[in-house]
Amino acid sequence: MKRYRKRILAVLLIGTMVLSLAGCNRSSSDAGNQVKKDFYYVPEYHDLELASDYIGETAVVGNTLYLYGSSWNEETGESINSMYQYDFLSGQSSELPVDFDGNDSVQQMCEDSEGNIVMIMSRYAPSVLEDAAGTEDADQQDDDSTGAEDNDEADETSGESVALSKKTVAGSVISEEDAADEGTYEAVEYTSYIELWKINSEDGSTIVKTDIKPVFEDADNAYVQYMTIDNEDNVYLSDGNSNIYVLDKDGNKICTISVENWVENLFATKEGKVFMRTWGNNGMAVKPVDIQKKSLGEDVTSENLNGNGNSYNQNYYKGLEKGILGSDNNGVFIYDFETDVREDLFSWLDADINSDEVSEIGQLSDGRIWAILRDYSEEKTKYSLVYLTKTPASEVPQKEELLFGTMWLNQNVRKSIIDFNKSNAKYHISVKEYSTDDYMTGLTQFNNDITSGNGPDIIDISDIDYKQYVSKGVLENLYPYMEKDGINKEDYLMNVLKAYEVDGKLYGIVPQFYITTTIAKASKVGDTPGWTLNEMLDFVEHSEAENIFQYGSRESIFYYCIYNNIDEFIDWETGECRFNGDDFIRVLEFANKFPEEIDYNSDEGISSKLRSDKVLLMQTSISSVQEYQMMNGLFGEKTTYIGYPNSERKGNLIQPTNGSVALNAKSKNKDGAWEFIKILLSDDYQNSLVSEWGSSWGFPLKKSALDKQFEKDMTPEYYEDENGNQVEQMKTSWGYDDFNMDIYAATQEEIDAVKEIITSAEKTSGSVNEELTNIITEETGAFFKGQKSAKDTADIIQNRIQIYVKENS
Amino acid sequence: MKKRKNPKTEGLKVDRGSAGKKNKRAFKGKLISWGYLFPSLAGVLLFFVLPFFVVIYYSMVDNPINNQFVFLDNFVKVATNKAFQQAAYNTMKFSAVAVPLAVILSLLLAMMLECKIPFRSQFRTFFLSPMMVPVASVILIWQVLFHYNGIVNDFTGLFGADKVDWLKSSHAQVVIVILFLWKNLGYNMILFMAALSSIPKDILEVAVLESATPLQIFWHIKIRYLSSTILFVTIMSLINSFKVFREIYLLTGNYPYDSIYMMQHFMNNAFGQLDYQKLSAAAIMMSMVMVILIGILFLTENYFGKDVEG
Repeated sequence: MKRYRKRILAVLLIGTMVLSLAGCNRSSSDAGNQVKKDFYYVPEYHDLELASDYIGETAVVGNTLYLYGSSWNEETGESINSMYQYDFLSGQSSELPVDFDGNDSVQQMCEDSEGNIVMIMSRYAPSVLEDAAGTEDADQQDDDSTGAEDNDEADETSGESVALSKKTVAGSVISEEDAADEGTYEAVEYTSYIELWKINSEDGSTIVKTDIKPVFEDADNAYVQYMTIDNEDNVYLSDGNSNIYVLDKDGNKICTISVENWVENLFATKEGKVFMRTWGNNGMAVKPVDIQKKSLGEDVTSENLNGNGNSYNQNYYKGLEKGILGSDNNGVFIYDFETDVREDLFSWLDADINSDEVSEIGQLSDGRIWAILRDYSEEKTKYSLVYLTKTPASEVPQKEELLFGTMWLNQNVRKSIIDFNKSNAKYHISVKEYSTDDYMTGLTQFNNDITSGNGPDIIDISDIDYKQYVSKGVLENLYPYMEKDGINKEDYLMNVLKAYEVDGKLYGIVPQFYITTTIAKASKVGDTPGWTLNEMLDFVEHSEAENIFQYGSRESIFYYCIYNNIDEFIDWETGECRFNGDDFIRVLEFANKFPEEIDYNSDEGISSKLRSDKVLLMQTSISSVQEYQMMNGLFGEKTTYIGYPNSERKGNLIQPTNGSVALNAKSKNKDGAWEFIKILLSDDYQNSLVSEWGSSWGFPLKKSALDKQFEKDMTPEYYEDENGNQVEQMKTSWGYDDFNMDIYAATQEEIDAVKEIITSAEKTSGSVNEELTNIITEETGAFFKGQKSAKDTADIIQNRIQIYVKENS
Repeated sequence: MKKRKNPKTEGLKVDRGSAGKKNKRAFKGKLISWGYLFPSLAGVLLFFVLPFFVVIYYSMVDNPINNQFVFLDNFVKVATNKAFQQAAYNTMKFSAVAVPLAVILSLLLAMMLECKIPFRSQFRTFFLSPMMVPVASVILIWQVLFHYNGIVNDFTGLFGADKVDWLKSSHAQVVIVILFLWKNLGYNMILFMAALSSIPKDILEVAVLESATPLQIFWHIKIRYLSSTILFVTIMSLINSFKVFREIYLLTGNYPYDSIYMMQHFMNNAFGQLDYQKLSAAAIMMSMVMVILIGILFLTENYFGKDVEG
C-alpha cells in the first residue's frame, strides 16, 4: 500500500492541475464577448390602464396587486385618490372603494400577514389665517436680487418667486394663491397629519385608523420614506433621517432606534427579519433591526448583497421562497441572508428594459417576475406592467451579440441601446461598464481589453484618450460606412465631425454636444471669438479688475491659461518644448498675482461683479440658445464667446453631452456595430434631441435638427389677456447665481450668434495628457508657495516634459 | 536432430541481452530524469522562453491589433528616439560609475574588516543593514534628506549655502549613485569577505616568508583568488544598477529630471502608453547589450583567473 501512496498522491496532484487549467479555460471564455446564457427572462408587456395620472405605492396580497393612484383636479384644486386592485391571473383591474379625502396622500403602503393593506397617510387640513403678513420678506428679497437692475422682467420674476417662497411658518405650510397682482392675498394654513390606516384588501373597509404624528421626532416635517412590516405585523418606519420608528400592528409605538447616518432603506425578508440600509464606513451597509434590543445588529458586509461599485437604485422586496428579491440598476437577484448566496436572475438590459423606468418589482408564485415601468418621455407619464418569464435559450430567438464598452453607461445611451435591442431583429447589444471603485483599475482593464484585440464592438470614447487608439489602429474610419449608407456628412456639423477626425478619417460620433468656453464683454474684447495667450494676458494686465474669474485661484488661473493651450509650448513634430521660454514664465508670474486660496464667502454675486468690471471673464458652457440669452442678460451687455486662450485662436471646445461612440476596427461584427451608430445619426434620433422647452443640455449634430431647435427657440408663445389680445409670454426662466431672467423667443440675431459660437468650435475638450499635468502641478506647487523662482520652476518643467515629448515624438 | 550449439552465437546472445537491459534501464533513467525536470522545464518554457519569443514577435509587428510584420522598423524607431538615446546614455553612465565604485568600495571595506579592527562585527552589521530596509522606507528616508525642503538643504543652509534641488538638477545622478552604493555595498562586502577567508593561508604565509610586500600579496595572490568573486559581484552590481529604476521611480515618478531618466523609465512609460512594440524593441536591445557585457566579463575572468581555478 505504501508504494502506491506516492502514485496516488501524484495522480491527485495531476488531477488538481488539470482541473485548475480547466477552470482557467472557462473564465477566459467568459471574458469574451459572446457569452451564451442557458436561460433568458423574456418580457411580456401589459398596459396598466388606470384612471389615475400618477401611480404611487403598491402592495401585493396573494395574486393581487394593489396600487395607489392619484390625479390632480384643476377645477377643485384637490387630488383624486384611488386604490386599484389588479389580478395577476386574469389581468383584470378594478377600483377598491377606500375612504380617501382630497387632501389625503399615501406616503407608504405594505401588506401584512393577514392580507390587509397597511398605509401611511398624510393629510392636510386647511384653515384660513387671519393675518397674511410677510411683505417684509418679499421686500428684503427684492433688495437682494442685485445685478438685474436693467431688466424689469427679471425684477418682477424674482419678486414673484419671493412671494411664493415664504411659506413655512413654524412647522405649518402656508400656501398663497396668485395674488401678487392685487397686492393682497388670502393665506391658508394647512396643518399636517400622519396616520396609519389598515384596510381590508377585499372590500376596502377601514380596520384601523391611528394618528401616528406624535411618534416622529420632527413631527411637522415628517415624511415617511421607508416602511416595512415583519412577520408579527410590527410596522417599521423611517422618515429618511436618523431614526427608525417601530409600531405595533395597531399603530402604538414600540420603540425608536437611532442610526448613525441617514436611513436609506428598510426591508423585510421572507423569514420575517427586518433590515435597514445606510452609509457605513465602507460605503453602503445593511444592518439587521432588532426590536428586542432596540438597536441595530452587525453589518452585513457581503458583496453578494451590496453589489460592486457600479450598482445604484437598489431596492429590496420580500423573497418568494427565501431572503429577498433585489433590484438595482443592473438587474434582479435573489439573496439569502442565511447562506449569503446570491442568485442573479437577469440583467435589465438583457431583458430590454430600461432600469431607470423600473418603479416596483415582485415575484409571482409561478416564478415570473413582474415590474411596473414608468415612461416619462411622453407628456403624460405612461405606466405599464411587464411580466418576465424564465425561458430556455433554445426557445428564445437568438440574435448576434454586440458589446458596448464604456466606463459609465450614460442614461441616454442606455435608452438608445434598449430601443435598438427592441427594434433590431438581427443584433443585440450587451453593455460592459468598466468603472470600479478605483477609476484607474477600470481604465486599465478597458485599455487591456482593447489593446489585446478583445475590445468591445462599440467603444464609448468620452472618457478615454481615443487618439492613442487611433494611432494603434483600434478604431475604424466611419466615413466609408456613412458613404455606403448614403449618409451625407455635409448634413452634419462639419466642424464637430472634423474635431473627431485624424488625417481626414472620422473615428468618433458625438450625437449631441455642448461648447465649453469663456465669455467676456464684447465692448472689452471685440466681437471675434478666439484669442492667443499673450492677447489674453495683455487684456487682463491692462485692466484693474479684482480677479479674472469669480473664484480664481493661482492654480485655476494658471491652468486656465495653459490647459487647452499646451501645444503652444510643445512642438510634437520636432520634439522640442518651450516651457522655459518667456511666455511660460510670464504665465507663472501672472498666475502668482492671484490669491492662493479661493474666498467663497463673497456676498456679491457674479452678475454684479461682471457688470461692475470687478471680474472680467466667465468660464462656462453653452448648450442652448436660452443659455446664450441668459448670459447676455447676466453680463448686462453684448458678450463675446472668446473661448480659452489658444495659439490658433480656436478656444471654443466641443464636449459630448451623452457620450461619443467609436467602432472597434477588430470587431467581428462591424456591420452590426455600425447599425447602432447609424441610429445615433438618424433623423429620428437627432430630432428627438430637439427640446420642446428649449434645452436638452446639448445641440444635435445634424444641421436639420439644429435648425428645428432654432425654429422652436424663435417661436414666441402667447397668452390671451383680458381684452382678448395675444400678448407674448415668457418661454421659461433661467437663473445663475444672483441673476434671474425670463426667456422670450430668440431673435434672428441671437440665433446667428449661437450658430457662430457652434461653428467656431473645432477642437475637443480636455485632451492634455495626465502625465504632463502631473509634472506641471508637482513643480508649480513650490513656486506658488514662494519657494522657487519662476525661472527655476520653468527650467525643471522644461527638463521633465522634454523627456515626455522626446518619448512621444 | 540435435542442433549444435554455437558458442559464439550464444555469447553474442548473452551480450545482446545485457545491452538491451542496459539500454532499457538508461531509457527509463532518462525518462525519469525528464519527468522530474518537466515541471521546472515547463515553468521556464512557459514563463521565460515563451514570453521572450512573444517579445521578439511584438518587436517586429506594427501593433498587437493589426499584427503587420514590419521587421526592424521598431528597432530603428527606438534607436533613433531621443528619449531612448538619453535613457541608454544615462544608464550606461550610471553603470560605468556605480558598478566599479560598488566593487572597489566593497572590496576595500571587506579588506578593512578582515584586519583585526575594533567593532568589526558592528561595522559589518551596519553595512549590511540597508539590505534589510524595504525600498519604500529607503525612499522615504532619501526624500526627507534630499527634498528641496529636506535635511541636507537645511544643514547646508546653516553655512549660508543656497538651496539645491538635489533630485531635480544635475546633482540627481550623484544622489542616486550614493543611494545605490549605500544599498549594495554591504552585500558585496560579505561576498568579498567570504572569498578573502577562503584564500589558502599557506600561500599567504609563503609570500610573507618570501618578503613579499602587502601590495604584491594583494595584487598577485588575493586578486587572483578573488577573480571569480569579483566577476560575480560585478555582474550582480551591473544587474542591480539596471534595477535602480525602482528607487528613482519611487523618488521622482515616471518622468524624472533628465539626468536620472533610465532605460526602464523608457520601457515602463512605453508600457503605460500601451506601446508594446517600442517596449519590446527596447527590451531586446537592452538584453543584447547585457549579454555582450556579461560575455566580456566572463572572458576577462577567464583570462585573469585561469591559473587559480585550474
